[in-house]
Amino acid sequence: MKQLIEFRVNGERYEAAVEPNRTLLEVLWEDLGLTGTKMGCNSGECGACTVLLDGMAVCSCLTLAVEAQGKDILSIEGLSSNGKLHPVQQAFIDHHAVQCGYCTPGMIMSAKALLDKNPDPTEDEVRSALQGNLCRCTGYVKIVEAILAAKEKMKV
Amino acid sequence: MADFSVVGKGVPRVDSLEKVTGKAEFPITFRLPHMLHGKVVRSPHPHARIISIDTSKAERLPGVKVVVTAKNTPRIRLGALYRDRDAFPPDLTVRYVGDAVAAVAAETEDIAEEAAVLVKVKYEELPAVFDTEEAFRTDPPAVVHPELANYECRFERMGIRRRLDPERPNVCDHFKVRQGDVGKGFQEADLIVENRYFTPRIQHCQLEPCASVAWFESDGTLRLVTTGQGAHVTQAEIGEAFNLPPSKVRVECHYLGGAFGGKGRNITEPYAVLLSMKAGGRPVRVCFTRDEHFVCGRSRVPVVTYIKDGVKRDGTIVARELRILVDMGAYADSAIMIVRACAFGPMGIYKTANFKLDSYGVYTNTPMSAPFRGFGNAETLWAVENQMDMIAEKLGLDAVEVRKRNFLKDGERYAFGQIVRSIGIEECLDKAQKWIEWDKKPVQEGSWKRGKGIALGCKGTQTGFPSSALVKVHPDGSVEVRHSSQEIGMGVDTVVAQIAAESFGISMDSVRVVSGDTATCPYGYAPVSSRETFHMGNAVLAACEDAKRELFEVASPKLGVPIELLETRDRKVCVKGQPGKEVRIPLLFRPPGVGYALAKCEIIGKSTFEVPLIPEDPETGQSERQVSSYGYGAQAVEVAVDVETGEVRVLRSVGCFDGGTAINPKMCETQIEGGVGMGIGAALYEELLISEKGETLNPNFRDYKIPTAEDMPNNANVVAMLAPAPHPEGPFGAKGLGEQVMIPYAPAVSNAIYNAVGVRIKELPITPDKILKALKEKKKHFHISQLGKGSS
Repeated sequence: MKQLIEFRVNGERYEAAVEPNRTLLEVLWEDLGLTGTKMGCNSGECGACTVLLDGMAVCSCLTLAVEAQGKDILSIEGLSSNGKLHPVQQAFIDHHAVQCGYCTPGMIMSAKALLDKNPDPTEDEVRSALQGNLCRCTGYVKIVEAILAAKEKMKV
Repeated sequence: MADFSVVGKGVPRVDSLEKVTGKAEFPITFRLPHMLHGKVVRSPHPHARIISIDTSKAERLPGVKVVVTAKNTPRIRLGALYRDRDAFPPDLTVRYVGDAVAAVAAETEDIAEEAAVLVKVKYEELPAVFDTEEAFRTDPPAVVHPELANYECRFERMGIRRRLDPERPNVCDHFKVRQGDVGKGFQEADLIVENRYFTPRIQHCQLEPCASVAWFESDGTLRLVTTGQGAHVTQAEIGEAFNLPPSKVRVECHYLGGAFGGKGRNITEPYAVLLSMKAGGRPVRVCFTRDEHFVCGRSRVPVVTYIKDGVKRDGTIVARELRILVDMGAYADSAIMIVRACAFGPMGIYKTANFKLDSYGVYTNTPMSAPFRGFGNAETLWAVENQMDMIAEKLGLDAVEVRKRNFLKDGERYAFGQIVRSIGIEECLDKAQKWIEWDKKPVQEGSWKRGKGIALGCKGTQTGFPSSALVKVHPDGSVEVRHSSQEIGMGVDTVVAQIAAESFGISMDSVRVVSGDTATCPYGYAPVSSRETFHMGNAVLAACEDAKRELFEVASPKLGVPIELLETRDRKVCVKGQPGKEVRIPLLFRPPGVGYALAKCEIIGKSTFEVPLIPEDPETGQSERQVSSYGYGAQAVEVAVDVETGEVRVLRSVGCFDGGTAINPKMCETQIEGGVGMGIGAALYEELLISEKGETLNPNFRDYKIPTAEDMPNNANVVAMLAPAPHPEGPFGAKGLGEQVMIPYAPAVSNAIYNAVGVRIKELPITPDKILKALKEKKKHFHISQLGKGSS
């Protein structure tokens, strides 16, 4: 039987009636039309579905929608504000950290979660924070470079 | 290279903004109102006859709209070369664990999954064969396609002949190359080195699984939004399968979430279309789960390579013989092209007066294979590049030196007869060995043993396939390019924009690129074979010239000068050598800036570029032109091996590649870096394991490991370099790059491991258990040989 839940996504308040077994990823896609978050494996192993739940990076494919009750969710669509890109997004563009782009939203959200918690990570710490985000195109080189560049911009 | 404004610069990609904001559309998130969800019912047996299919329970489940089997649908014939596969087997025989038996469409994915389980199929199991070499035998344990000789061969009318072996019932193709006399060459050799090598089944692991949405319009036009690699190829093949002309099929795929050769040829499309047909044209979505994608989304051909080299004392190869078994899996589909394509790697780098190659396509009762970045060349060059090091060691020569002594040069001929043009391999090798300090032995630190290794790679882009472009000049002076390729991540949209911007003398902002829609984009072959920069680049260049000619025809009377004196710059038509004598492009339209171009209606240029295939001699493989261009590269690595655990870490890595002129050097760098990621996976971790019942044991990211950010060396230790050898026929001298970047990686690692600890693993992946076993064997032989010495 459906449950009525209430939560905030990218600063906006939403209400949805969901079955208890629906995932947050499904609700973002089907109910809210927010398809920026991607599905790669649906079992929490690839990180393509990473969103922030009350500031913490989680796999939205493993998060039940009902768990979002009363919580704040940030997805890739909510990262830029007033048409201005987040420094991590801009760095991904400037440093050629994007190829097919499928892992990109998840990568950027994990990077944001890291930099929010640790504004000055070492390269090893960046790699460690990304270990749950798989990429098949880039070899991670420019992704790591972009995040390290973004952190410098954000320090200023 | 001359100084260009946009070409040759590392400008930002045109698709990055959409991708970093999540706005980029991928087929997997495409939705339509009233869309149904489809699931395929699959065989749990590797080889069996279907006795009965009971769909009644599934049909009665609330929410189920359609259930299809071979019984209630027309025959849907598939298969790139042989029609060896239907959507559902017409001879009621399933041939691998995962083979499609039925499909259901329901209101939700959950209901569809439940319905799929309710479809009851009774099977009679048959003997199965899983091992490539066992299947190759004259008396294999099972024959996968007993009717093979009677299958329709799709391209017979194009002169591509069926090449079966009457003695070997599982062989579906045989490609031969003969040059000189290897028997004589082996007699003249001072040393013979002969070995067997193996590359396993690995999966592309594109982050986006296969997905298709199919629906029919009121006039019967079929619409598809799908992950099919190559929108026009999908349009043609699905059209043919469903008896629809291309004008009645529209295929769209704006961006693909990774392809690497594995998303072509009717993977999810036939089932989405069948279900939609049965549901009265209602949209149906078929999307693979990750497990399903590992098994049914195609995987790299397992390849066994037997190689025998005859060499002189100075390291020159006098004879080289290869016998290659390429495992198709249960159905050949596009994997059959690899039988021929994999031969071009071994022929691409080194010269041999005497060369013999036999490559066979072999059926087994395992999941379907497909091209995987490299198209068979990573598999065969795995053998060749290990051999080169072994040859060097046995002769007491340097591995780099031995390679150099055998390099082909411009103007010489490949073993298949084509003349060499543009081969930058020597410079690639020089730069790579310099960076890794090849002459200096690695410093040993701690219990891990270090070693350096080098290997080379190449990839020949196949001829015989076209690319097309339409170029429109808008009334505001901006330029729109509609091209036949597809942005699968390699950056073709950006390369196209750069070439158009350069041609018109405008900024990147003034260029719009449209691709991936058969309704608006001209026909071309799929984005495969590292072909697009060369072929699409040339098509775009020519289409731009065509558009400019139309523009000049309008401008010439206005400026009062002949067309030959005109050029474009900054949205103006200018007279060469007469600054100030120009007309703004918007003024060539009526009304200015919005309307039509005087007598010309719209300004549209068009062009198709193709390098015609010259079919090879069936007995010798000889042909003047099989390859449009060859890309080259060298990979040098330093590894550390833990002799206690067998673990291997790549410490430093340099790749230097020749893709001809780099249209966008930054994007070329990112390709090389991506090749490192995939290369480490192929070398050390990846293998799809098939049980003795034909089941795939590790179809998920937990048990099939691809490299994470922590498995790569730090950025300071991963270097990407370019050594371009411009090609006379390439746009601005460019060639292809996307595949050769991963090809040398596994043999470079293997050679480095040998140099570190003295063991050579000939079957990928090089896992810790194999290293430990080899080290143990080595120790045993050493003791035995020492005992022998002591006793005299």
